[in-house]
Amino acid sequence: MLILPHPIHAQIAAHGAASYPYEGCGLLLGSAEDGRNIVVAAVPLPNVWPVESEKPERFRIAEDDWRDVELEAMSNGLDVIGIFHSHPDHPAVASPRDLAWASWPGYSYLITQIIGGEPADGRSWQLMPDRSGFVEEPVEVVEDNQ
Amino acid sequence: MTTIRIPTPLRPYSGGNSTVTVSGDTVGEALDHLTQQHPQLRNHLFDGEELRSFVNIYLNKEDVRGLQGAQTALKSDDTLMIIPSIAGGM
Repeated sequence: MLILPHPIHAQIAAHGAASYPYEGCGLLLGSAEDGRNIVVAAVPLPNVWPVESEKPERFRIAEDDWRDVELEAMSNGLDVIGIFHSHPDHPAVASPRDLAWASWPGYSYLITQIIGGEPADGRSWQLMPDRSGFVEEPVEVVEDNQ
Repeated sequence: MTTIRIPTPLRPYSGGNSTVTVSGDTVGEALDHLTQQHPQLRNHLFDGEELRSFVNIYLNKEDVRGLQGAQTALKSDDTLMIIPSIAGGM
């Protein structure tokens, strides 16, 4: 389950909209407790997919950006607990490409659908332990950190 | 001794520890010692004898691929980070 404070949910949706028609992306920070990923902050990052014309349907996060976010998170007592990205004009469903380029099970993969530049559906996914696919996880949007 | 920072989703396989202290004169030896201490980590980091394609090792903020890879020498008090490559799309 992903616990997502409403202001951060809105921040992620706004980043997806601002990135349109490209995919926007970033990292979720917080803590992992008893199977729940509890978000405390979201850090938008550049989509560094190398082919500009493919950015409407591809994203990549630079490893150096991840490193910097993780170090900053560590200094604040937080962990990287997930990745968010947007699907412009496409459902918020984890795709075969998301699967092919996923990392370890346990991270939340929050996907926001953007339709014509406006945020729509947001759904979160977890990689299955055998890496064979994604399963959807519940998202609980809360008023503030709980 | 070298400190290795464990990514959040791998901590169930490192005894719940966010860092693990290892010995070894090189990055490769340090990773071997890590997976000897916590064998369940091996499958998440390695595909056979090679690091999984999405696994990157940073030594004191520098990707070891830009150094000497697994042969990169370690000094005492070095810190290794395990950083995943992430991409995706529709």
